[in-house]
Amino acid sequence: MGLEATLVPRIVEAMDKKPRIPVIWLHGLECTCCSESFIRSSHPVAQDVVLNMISLDYDDTLQAAAGFQVEEIRKRIMKEYAGEYLLAVEGNAPTRDGGVYCTVGGDTFLNILVETAEKAKAVVAWGSCASNGCVQAARPNPTGAKPVKDLIPHRAVINVPGCPPIAEVMTGVLTYILTFGTLPELDRQGRPKMFYGQRIHDKCYRRPFFDAGQFVEAWDDEGARKGWCLYKMGCRGPSTYNSCSTFKWNNGVSFPIGSGHGCIGCSEENFWDNGPFYQRLSNVVVPGIESTPDQIGKTLTVLAGAGVAAHFGSYMVRRGINAAKKEKPVPSAPEKEGGDQ
Amino acid sequence: MGTRTLHVEHLPEQRYGRRYVWQLPVRLSHWINFLSLLALFLTGLYITFPQLAPAGEPSQHFVMGRMRQIHFAAGQIFLVSFLWRVYWFWMGNNYARSGFPFVWRAAWWRDLVRQAMAYLHLRRGNVHLGHNALGGLMYTVFVIGLGWGQIFTGLALYSESNPGGFWDHLTGWVIPLFGGSFRVHMWHHLFAWGFLVFAILHIYVVLFDSHQYRNGLLSSIVSGFKFYEEGDLDHDSWVS
Repeated sequence: MGLEATLVPRIVEAMDKKPRIPVIWLHGLECTCCSESFIRSSHPVAQDVVLNMISLDYDDTLQAAAGFQVEEIRKRIMKEYAGEYLLAVEGNAPTRDGGVYCTVGGDTFLNILVETAEKAKAVVAWGSCASNGCVQAARPNPTGAKPVKDLIPHRAVINVPGCPPIAEVMTGVLTYILTFGTLPELDRQGRPKMFYGQRIHDKCYRRPFFDAGQFVEAWDDEGARKGWCLYKMGCRGPSTYNSCSTFKWNNGVSFPIGSGHGCIGCSEENFWDNGPFYQRLSNVVVPGIESTPDQIGKTLTVLAGAGVAAHFGSYMVRRGINAAKKEKPVPSAPEKEGGDQ
Repeated sequence: MGTRTLHVEHLPEQRYGRRYVWQLPVRLSHWINFLSLLALFLTGLYITFPQLAPAGEPSQHFVMGRMRQIHFAAGQIFLVSFLWRVYWFWMGNNYARSGFPFVWRAAWWRDLVRQAMAYLHLRRGNVHLGHNALGGLMYTVFVIGLGWGQIFTGLALYSESNPGGFWDHLTGWVIPLFGGSFRVHMWHHLFAWGFLVFAILHIYVVLFDSHQYRNGLLSSIVSGFKFYEEGDLDHDSWVS
């Protein structure tokens, strides 16, 4: 978390003594990969977070209870702990046709989200769905899915993007809020700076190969075996803000680039629409035309060249006609005829 | 109005007048822009499609790093040259601002149509001491417009290597504006090709006009002087 060592006792004390924060964890349009990631956290261990740090009062995926009683609990927490509870949102809400494409307990998720966010102390958007739309908001976005920040524009939202976010990043955000009672410092896109402050590229262990100019050209070439940079295979590390190259995944076992596959930029806005994943340039600039910026550029360049050639050709033809017309009378200044009409 | 008819006020046998049109800062900025844009375009292409594949240990090479270094250095040089030219737009002589698109003036539109007709071989063209309206529009769209586009997207991408640094504070907002770093990369690429398109058109038109009008247009970007005949247009002023 980028904190001084002297602050460690404070974190320990917070974990030991601070009252547990009530948390309402909502699930909208999502795949539950954020929850899957969360329960695999090792520092701190997820069980510890759920049992000792927070009071997970409502989570329709993890809780044992079901039905009316559960919705009752959510309403009670909202009333009894107004302004104190933390709202964690996994997934986002479809907005088309009144939000009917995602309903929970007989109400649209859109309504539930707006209602629950009203009196929350803070809103945490788990994952790329909640932070920036992810797959269900990718073109053509049939259900009109929108990220949480667009649905509750008056509330500050902590975006924790990733598909899913790294487990330790998720528990780290909760630990920070519990310890200091405030939100972590956020960047322009509402992401905690301590986890999303730098690109994967800038801390990638393959970076020396990038600077040297040594790139994998095919998945089975010499460079791939030697672990060279995956830039030419479409790796999104240079434009992706996340902690994968520092924290890695699954208790530090590995991360995509470490396993020989480029980053697909899952924590970046529009990452589904920025494909194909396996080429450096994509078709995003002019949607609908399957062209990369360089293909468009080359076409325009050829057109400009053709235009110039056509112009010069027609000029020469006209010059020839003029010269033929004036053949006999004055042979004085033939080179000035172009502009002399 | 910005366009006047010129008269050669010398001895009857003297056919041409000569005037100092492009001041030194304008000419310097032109050539610095040319050199830096050339370096930027070539290194930019290399950064997109790195072709050299050095063998051996990465510690022995710095090919991509060097290309990026040249790209960034050329970018900073272009920025200074560009900003200096913007300053000179205000401080220079009237020819330094003659390319400004005066879209609210009928005379500007007349000059634009006249020039377009001249290039379509439909009418006789006019020599202008400053920029003609069509040329000025080209420079505004391709050099000023694309220039700002490249400066902002380029600096935003450059700032990513130093989060929270000077350039991040100044231009970091560009990244969310375009919908993420990757999209800024894509637009930066597309804008770059605009400069090549411009270079083709610019060089052709300069050669063509220089040949057609024989007014020293080509050499004027080195010497600063242009020649005119009785009746040529002096498109010099943007203050009526």
